[in-house]
Amino acid sequence: MAEFPLHLIPILPFIGAAIALLIGRRLGKNVITLLCCGSVAAAFIVSVKGFLVLHHDLPPTGALVGRFFEAPWIKAGDLNISAGLAMDHLSAILCLVVTGIGFLIHVYSTAYMEHDENYTRFFAFLNLFTGSMLILVLGDSLPVTFVGWEGVGLCSYLLIGFWLDKDANALAGRKAFVVNRIGDFGFLLAMFLIYSRTGTLKYTELAGHIDQLSAHIWFGLPVAYFVGLLVLVGATGKSAQIPLYIWLPDAMAGPTPVSALIHAATMVTAGVYVVARLHFVFEAAPVTLAVVAVVGAITALFAATIGIAQRDMKKVLAYSTVSQLGFMFVGVGTYLNNTHTANYQAGIFHLVTHAFFKACLFLGAGSVMHGLNGEGDIMRMGGLRKWMPHTRWTFLIACLAIAGIFPLSGFWSKDAILGGVWHASWLTSGPPTNFLEKMAFAKDGDQFVIHLGHFLYPVLLLAAGCTAFYMFRLYWLAFGGEYRGPAVSSAALAHAVGDAHDTHAAHGHDDHGHDHAPAHESPPAITVVLWILAIGAIVIGFLGIPEVVRPGFDYFGEWLSPVLPPLVADESASEFWMFAAIALAVSGIGIGLAWVLYGHGPAVAVRNFVARAPRLYRLVFNKYYVDEIYDFLVVRPVRFTAFLLWKAFDAFFIDLILVNGVGFLVSGFGKLSKYLQNGDLQRYIVALIVGGAVIVGVGTHYDVWAGAKFETAVAGRDVRVVAHGAGTTAKRLQYRVDWEGDGKFGATQPSPNFKHTYDKPGSHKIAVEAIDPRWGTVSRESRTVKVQ
Amino acid sequence: MLWQSVQPMGRVTAQLATGDQGMQWSGPQIWWWIIAVFTVGGAISTVTRRNNIAAVMSLVATFFGLAAMYAMLSAHFLAALQVLVYAGAIMTLFVFVIMVLNRDEAEPWAWSGIFTKIVGVFALVYLVTKVGYHLFGVAAAHPETPPAEFGTVAQVGEVLFTDYLFVFEAVSVLLLIAVVAAVVVARQRGGGGTDDDDASADITTTPAVGHSTGHEDHHS
Amino acid sequence: MIPIHWFLELAAVLFVVGSLGVILRRNALIMLMGIELQLNAANLTLVAFSRAYHDAHAQAFAFIVIAVAAAEAAVGLAILVGIFRNRRSVNVDELTIMKH
Repeated sequence: MAEFPLHLIPILPFIGAAIALLIGRRLGKNVITLLCCGSVAAAFIVSVKGFLVLHHDLPPTGALVGRFFEAPWIKAGDLNISAGLAMDHLSAILCLVVTGIGFLIHVYSTAYMEHDENYTRFFAFLNLFTGSMLILVLGDSLPVTFVGWEGVGLCSYLLIGFWLDKDANALAGRKAFVVNRIGDFGFLLAMFLIYSRTGTLKYTELAGHIDQLSAHIWFGLPVAYFVGLLVLVGATGKSAQIPLYIWLPDAMAGPTPVSALIHAATMVTAGVYVVARLHFVFEAAPVTLAVVAVVGAITALFAATIGIAQRDMKKVLAYSTVSQLGFMFVGVGTYLNNTHTANYQAGIFHLVTHAFFKACLFLGAGSVMHGLNGEGDIMRMGGLRKWMPHTRWTFLIACLAIAGIFPLSGFWSKDAILGGVWHASWLTSGPPTNFLEKMAFAKDGDQFVIHLGHFLYPVLLLAAGCTAFYMFRLYWLAFGGEYRGPAVSSAALAHAVGDAHDTHAAHGHDDHGHDHAPAHESPPAITVVLWILAIGAIVIGFLGIPEVVRPGFDYFGEWLSPVLPPLVADESASEFWMFAAIALAVSGIGIGLAWVLYGHGPAVAVRNFVARAPRLYRLVFNKYYVDEIYDFLVVRPVRFTAFLLWKAFDAFFIDLILVNGVGFLVSGFGKLSKYLQNGDLQRYIVALIVGGAVIVGVGTHYDVWAGAKFETAVAGRDVRVVAHGAGTTAKRLQYRVDWEGDGKFGATQPSPNFKHTYDKPGSHKIAVEAIDPRWGTVSRESRTVKVQ
Repeated sequence: MLWQSVQPMGRVTAQLATGDQGMQWSGPQIWWWIIAVFTVGGAISTVTRRNNIAAVMSLVATFFGLAAMYAMLSAHFLAALQVLVYAGAIMTLFVFVIMVLNRDEAEPWAWSGIFTKIVGVFALVYLVTKVGYHLFGVAAAHPETPPAEFGTVAQVGEVLFTDYLFVFEAVSVLLLIAVVAAVVVARQRGGGGTDDDDASADITTTPAVGHSTGHEDHHS
Repeated sequence: MIPIHWFLELAAVLFVVGSLGVILRRNALIMLMGIELQLNAANLTLVAFSRAYHDAHAQAFAFIVIAVAAAEAAVGLAILVGIFRNRRSVNVDELTIMKH
């Protein structure tokens, strides 16, 4: 542990955001640009410094701690949570990705959003997001991470709905927010569960307390299982996995840089990060890792197939992101029970490489739309290679990377995942210890497990093939063939596609669109960023060349090893190359198919196919109707319940009974008292007199001052009664006694002393009356006595 | 307080039973009856006269009767005060106001809400009989003739300027306030009536002005 | 010797008569007179008790009541004049604008 001013990393973007939000409008665009980009760049520099300190000055297991925030944060009874920051080898990488790619996207945005009237707000939110993401990454405990987690969710919401003048954007933002909330709920529950069992939420302390999570059994399962599954729920929300992925494609309503930064490179990987961060919890419950992997694999294939049929450039990339996140989930979910190691490194590695090539792809798409004045439909593009060479080349590189073509980065990270999952075996080889394992084992010991891994491998392979296919379909439809868009004139350019929101950014280029080219290359701020990311997408993979291929070159794995132990699999070099060859072949098939069908624009076969629109096509094109299914299964029941609640509870009970009821009571009283308050003075006087009469009448019947209390003394059958007249009238009171409680009173006398002898034993009810002779008032008290 | 002040009456309850036995009326008692009938007759006349002046005059008669009653109770100072203040001052005020508001009434009785009022009359009768029932037979603690100085200006003044000095001053301030208030309420606000007329004229004429000439609006 | 309760009962009768005037008459002037009757009835009881106990305090009270009654009459009559000026009437059953 070494101290380091870690707080600077998130604080710097926050300061930028605060200044931009508070006084940004007065500062002017240039200052905002400098401030926001500069603060993120500064954060990047501090991150690099932290990385170097971590690399050079500390032992491999060391970590940096930032004590700046480390004051008691939440204190209640035994609960004592401090807000601390820590940077270990894992968060250092994430930090570099967030600040580095974040900075590039900031630079890109200066050109992309140049003509947006809400330039300041955009950069403020972008900075806010960066800071929140850094809090998430650097948090040394779950609550701090959760603050960042919610912060990025908020920023995502704000930025999806950035162009809030259109309802669709606001709805998309709301959808993202609501769906994420489901995940957040799981995350929160996991946090509570962990705290209730271990008493700590710090990652470093948690690792030592993990046996407490395994020791507690709930419903026949260690609590670790529930924690793992709840964390997974949170992760599926944030990382857009089945079943909560539906918000991500809609999130493309935001500006393209946002899609690149938040919905491709950083925020959506938070789920992967948290799973890796809490890896010890998952290892205590290996089946949950299997669930992670299965969810990831299904999502990967599912989203990839949807991506094939999408026509919107950003939608394709969105589904691609969902699919690639599925790969990452498989990576972090891969577990080998015989070596007790998991493939977190591959998942994180893919996270990093994906950040580069997917950011490059999104920014390329943004560049294309920028050049086409907001056109996002790939069917109306084509031939753009002529006008947008930089965009075209960088896009091609990124496509090759995501398709996993040797030796680009995607190849290495994807093969690390694919190779790992083949070997995966999640369950202990010993006798099953709980019913979940018993169910999974069936009868054949761990055979089932092997099969599960072998099932996931082809699924992923297919997903990889689909990825290659739709990415190159996208590439060729956009850049290959001939331009298929509407005939262009500069005037038409300015207004034809006005409904697409990226026109906001593009309007400024109208004035130099006189060459009648349908598209134009983007300014340097965009192309330079694209090239940096493309180069990153090429070279970043070389940091993670597996040991079996070339020992000593797995810098990435070596770096992560202190935090995330590497997967120890019995894999030889030849096996690796075999997997690589298979994956390459599948990708090649995908690319080839894409070339045949889309190499020169959509082939006739494709047009016919789409025109006939068979059921399968429609199914995929409509994203498997998942939104509709959710609408039917979740939204409508919720709406119906809400409707019922609204009608039955809100409208009827609250509004009618309570609100209107009170009003009705008041107005009813008003209507009644209207007859009293009729302005007729004389009736008021009558009321006064009646009131006086009532007071006199009641007052003379019940003497509130007189109270007859009496005491009894029993001796054998003799009973003595002593009455006490109370109040101011006591002096003149007279008394009489009813000895049997039958209403027959004895003589009235001024003396309060009475004596009576009963004939027979038993209970007798005695009543004593005190009489005020002047007013004729009587007060009575009775009691039961027992005589022998 | 009230209760304690009443309580000593209890001590004399027994005496009253014997003191009221004989129906032989003494001279003062006969005088009392004459004055009582005069007073009650004046009161009834007050509330039944259609003519306001007649009502006020009946009231003055009642006040004279009451002054006589006070005198019979040895409250000579108050008797004089009753005549001076009530019959003299307050009634003069009434007469002035009646002169100002001199209107003959078409219908002297307020019939509206008559059922409520009947209830009120019954309540009133109940109230008075109930209280009267308990007051009946109350006798004086000191039936003997009071000392010569009782009820004189000196004695009342002494009480008033010692025990009730503060109350006396408060009442004087109250009277001052009442005089000022009466002047303020009854006064015609400095041409107030014409103010109102101007306001209503504005209300009726402004729309017409607004329609005909736009520039008039600037003045309003 | 006049029994003291005679005066009290006379006061009760005067009070009833005054109250009836207040309740039943339309004319606010007569109502004010009724109120004066009520006040005088109260005064009569005060003076009667004063005599019964040979205590001049009650007479001081009666004095104060007369003063307050004078103030009341002055203000009440002024209000009547004000009302009459606005509404040309002092009939209480017409003075019901509070109702609307």
